[in-house]
Order: sequence, then C-alpha cells, then structure tokens
Amino acid sequence: MSAPFTDAQLAAFLTGTLEDETLIDAIEAAINADPALATRAEALASAEPMDASVREAFAPVLDAPVPERLIAAATPRAAEVVDLAAARAAKSAAPLPTPANDTGRSSWRWPQFGAMAASLALGVLIGGPLLKGGGAGAPEGGSLVLASADLTAMLDSAPSGQKTDLAALGEGEVVLTFRNADGLLCRQFLIEGKGGTTSDALACAGGNGTGWQIEAYGRRAAPVGEMKLAGGDAAPAVVAAVDAMIDSDPLTGADEIAELGKK
Amino acid sequence: MNPDDTTRQALIALIPRLRRFARVLTGSIADADDVVQAALEKAMVNLEQYQPGTRLDSWVFRIARNHWVDDRRRAHNRMGHDDIGEMLDLAGDDGVAVVEASAEARMVRAAVDSLPPEQRDVVALVMLEELTYREAADMLGLPIGTVMSRLSRAKAALAKRIAAEGTVQ
Repeated sequence: MSAPFTDAQLAAFLTGTLEDETLIDAIEAAINADPALATRAEALASAEPMDASVREAFAPVLDAPVPERLIAAATPRAAEVVDLAAARAAKSAAPLPTPANDTGRSSWRWPQFGAMAASLALGVLIGGPLLKGGGAGAPEGGSLVLASADLTAMLDSAPSGQKTDLAALGEGEVVLTFRNADGLLCRQFLIEGKGGTTSDALACAGGNGTGWQIEAYGRRAAPVGEMKLAGGDAAPAVVAAVDAMIDSDPLTGADEIAELGKK
Repeated sequence: MNPDDTTRQALIALIPRLRRFARVLTGSIADADDVVQAALEKAMVNLEQYQPGTRLDSWVFRIARNHWVDDRRRAHNRMGHDDIGEMLDLAGDDGVAVVEASAEARMVRAAVDSLPPEQRDVVALVMLEELTYREAADMLGLPIGTVMSRLSRAKAALAKRIAAEGTVQ
C-alpha cells in the first residue's frame, strides 16, 4: 500500500524538510510496514549539500595522525609472543632483576623461593622500584606461586572491574577472566601501586586447588594519568601472555562468579 | 601472510574511519580513541568470529558501537567539547584560511554533537560512512523507516542550528 504518500512527501521526509511531526511518524510506520513503500523511498534518496559539509567538518579526523596505542591495539601480536618466549628463555638463564645479582648465580631459579619469598618477590616486582620503566617479563613457567593473602583473596572472588584494597601493595583490580587451553581459570589483573605506578600480571589457577601462579607480569611504560584503565593499556608481556593463553570467551557477570566458585 | 595478518592489516587501515565514526558517536576524540582501542582489542581477540568475504568494516564498526553503548550504560557522562580543532592545531595547521574554514567546520561539528545519540548513529553511518539506509538499518538492527525518520529529524535539526549560526552553505 504505497499509495497514501506522494513522492514529494517522501522526498521531503528524506531531506528533513517535512515539518509535520505526525506525518513523519506516519511515514516511518508505513515504510516499516510496507517493503514496497520502503523501496520507493530508497529510490528517492539522494546526496545533499549538507552531507558534504558534515563530511568536511569531520574530515580532519580522517587525516590526523593515528595514535600509536591504536596501532598497537591492532598490531599482530606474534612478534610479542616470540619476545615473551625469548624473555622466558632469558629469565631461565639469567638472574632476577635485583641489584645483588651476579653472573655466578645465573643458574638460580624461581622454584628456589619458598611461597613466602615468592610473595615478597612479587611485591617487589609489582610494587617495587626494581623493574625499569617498560620492563617486563615472565617468571619461568608457572613456578611463582602467589602467596599474598590479599591478592589471593582478590583472585579467588573479586569480580572483574571491582577495585580491591591490597594494603601495602596498593589497589588491585581484575580486568579479565578466562580459561586457558588446559581448562584452568586465568585472571589478568592490575595493581596500582601507592607511588602511582601500575603493574599488570596474569595468574592462572594451579589445578588441584594449588593456588594461583603468576604467568606473566609487567610494569606499565607510561603513567596512566586520568585515562580509563582498560585491559589494552596493560604491559605488553601480559597482553601477549593473555593472547597466547586465552582459550575461552572472557567470563563476565554471573558466569564469572559461578566459574570462580568451582575453580 | 596468513589470513589473520591480512585481516589485521585491514583493521589498521580502518582506524581513521573508526575514529571518525567513534568521534561522532561519543562527541570527543579522547572517548573516541578509547572506543576504537577497545573495539580493535575485541576484534583481535575474536578474529576467528569474522567471516572472511563479509565486510570487515561493518563487523568492527558494530563492535565499536556495541562497546560504546555498553560503556555509556556504565553511566559515563563526560562532557563533550570540540577537540578536533585542537587536534588540527597539534597537527601543525595554521593560517587564516584554515582558521576560517575550521570555524564553519567547528560549528557543524557542534551541531552534530548536539544531536541525541540515536540521531548521531544514523548521521555517522549514512552521512559520513555513506551507507545506504538499508545497510544502516541492518547494522543498527532497526527497521528502515525508523532509520529514515531519525536521519530526517537529524537533518532538520542540523539545518536549523546551522541557519541560526548565520552561516549559509
């Protein structure tokens, strides 16, 4: 039933020159109900001077230099994963980033830390000054057991996006929860240290209730300032580790809580 | 290059258009860049969900818009301001002609920024991205007549605002 409206009315409707609000609503409803009328209206659509001036007004955005963080967000991560592997290899052969290191101790390994020491070390790595800006790496595969009670509690139960007070470490927040290829629950989180630094880490449940193990960590290269903390701002090593390990859709909302419950 | 790399390169090439799209939706280039970054990250994580042969731009624009809609629901209410002029300044443009041309552009942007969100959606897709009404309707999940009436009202509001500012095309 295309009859009730003239081409002139339809054209005025399309160009925004129809003043009668009731008529606008009536034409909208008629087009929605009648494919033939929709086709007629489509055929009447044409370019207008206003289109060009709106395009011109926003053209500077098209021409502007693209911020590096946007390129990074879409840059193939393969290179970083290779870097992560290299970092792991280097870690296993090289000392921890402490001033006390010397080459004579190069065979020194993470597992030689007890859980207490690991907790301390993580505190140092995440909150402390030893990592250089942008410094990042991964502790040797799964051997660093998380033993900070506050962190463990956050990873055990806090939903993504909820800020958690971690006492001396600062403030923590889980940003992503997923399962890895082994079906183990993994959580990417960040810690905003008291000094204004932000660190990222990825922890996966050890299986058989053995607690959380740190898979990757990294310190953010630049201050985050007032920018919203998005997962994508995270340290590259952590992003790469997440990229390499993620094997499920991110768990959110009630699903996330339910999965945490049966970790 | 494997297919994923090809897709990623194509995504990078889409960034300027994504920024423009998000700038119209959000009203600020800072928010736009947050939306674009989040959309690209989601696209990368879900790359296997993209069907080769279908339109990559539609796919990632939809991701960006969904992210913005969700983000807005989380009760952000940041004030937009016209920052494209500042961006131009930063890019090193100057000169009287540029300033005059940019005065009109600034006014048109302010007019677009003053539209309600559902009208900015159709302005971004139909006027700027030059989608057909039908393509815009598909992307927004709306009947085509509704897309037409939203754009109709947007055009009327823009014309009124631009006329009120005393600038004639």
